[in-house]
Amino acid sequence: MSLFTAEKPGSRLSRFWHKWRFHINVLLLLVPLGFMPKYFADAALFRGDTGLGEREIGEVQVGPWSLRLAELRNEAPRLDGPAGYMKNFNAALCDSCREQVKATYLRIGKPRSLRAAGVIFFGTPYRMGAMLPIPEKTQADAELWITMEGWDGAMHQASIPLSQASPATLEWLNKQGGKP
Amino acid sequence: MSNAFRPLPAVLLMLCAGFSASALAHNPMCECKAIDAEQIQCTGGFSDGSGAPGVTLDVIGYDETILVPGKLGADSKLTFKKPNAEFYVLFDAGPGHVVEIDQADIQAP
Repeated sequence: MSLFTAEKPGSRLSRFWHKWRFHINVLLLLVPLGFMPKYFADAALFRGDTGLGEREIGEVQVGPWSLRLAELRNEAPRLDGPAGYMKNFNAALCDSCREQVKATYLRIGKPRSLRAAGVIFFGTPYRMGAMLPIPEKTQADAELWITMEGWDGAMHQASIPLSQASPATLEWLNKQGGKP
Repeated sequence: MSNAFRPLPAVLLMLCAGFSASALAHNPMCECKAIDAEQIQCTGGFSDGSGAPGVTLDVIGYDETILVPGKLGADSKLTFKKPNAEFYVLFDAGPGHVVEIDQADIQAP
């Protein structure tokens, strides 16, 4: 049996495929191009080239200190498995307070104590991040509390309405229909 | 052997490449329930599926006095007697890694 037996002429589609398959496969190289705009947008966001986050909330005064706060994504909270819905916030400390502030915390509602001040911001003072759990039963008039702790032991707090901090979260809460 | 182009594996491969999202964070989690009229059992853990043996879990009164200072056992659970005063449970895995559970959120048996 010869190795070079002529194949039986198949259907038109089969002949077309056999003739052009290698050329067509080159088109697969174009597939990544479709993902590139999102990839570069994300890369710029995480590197900080497009600012602190997708939506800047603005400067928040916390006692003698202040910080710039932003939503990483201008969108509703994302479900993080069994831990519930989470929302990412970024913050940058003011020029004069970078040396003085030891820790910055974020919480929905007024913290009961410094120990229960909420989630902690981590990262460099120029660009810190925190992942805040958003309980599904959060009220629409809830407030976002920022607690800052200094190296000297001082503690300062400030709050902003959730509607100002994240309109997308508020819209999501309203859509949930106010769980009890 | 068939040389036909099989679209399904190709599409699956593309989806795998595109949606290999990062879920690296592990957030603290805690769940408390009343096992009978007197006792409350709390289970701690992290959202990546790991347990929390030895992590501090305090029962704190509304007046900030610590009613039951505790640590989770080897099975990441702690059972304590329900205090008479109003209280909340604080699962404390370190600064900024806490979960608070108010007494109102503890399910009855």
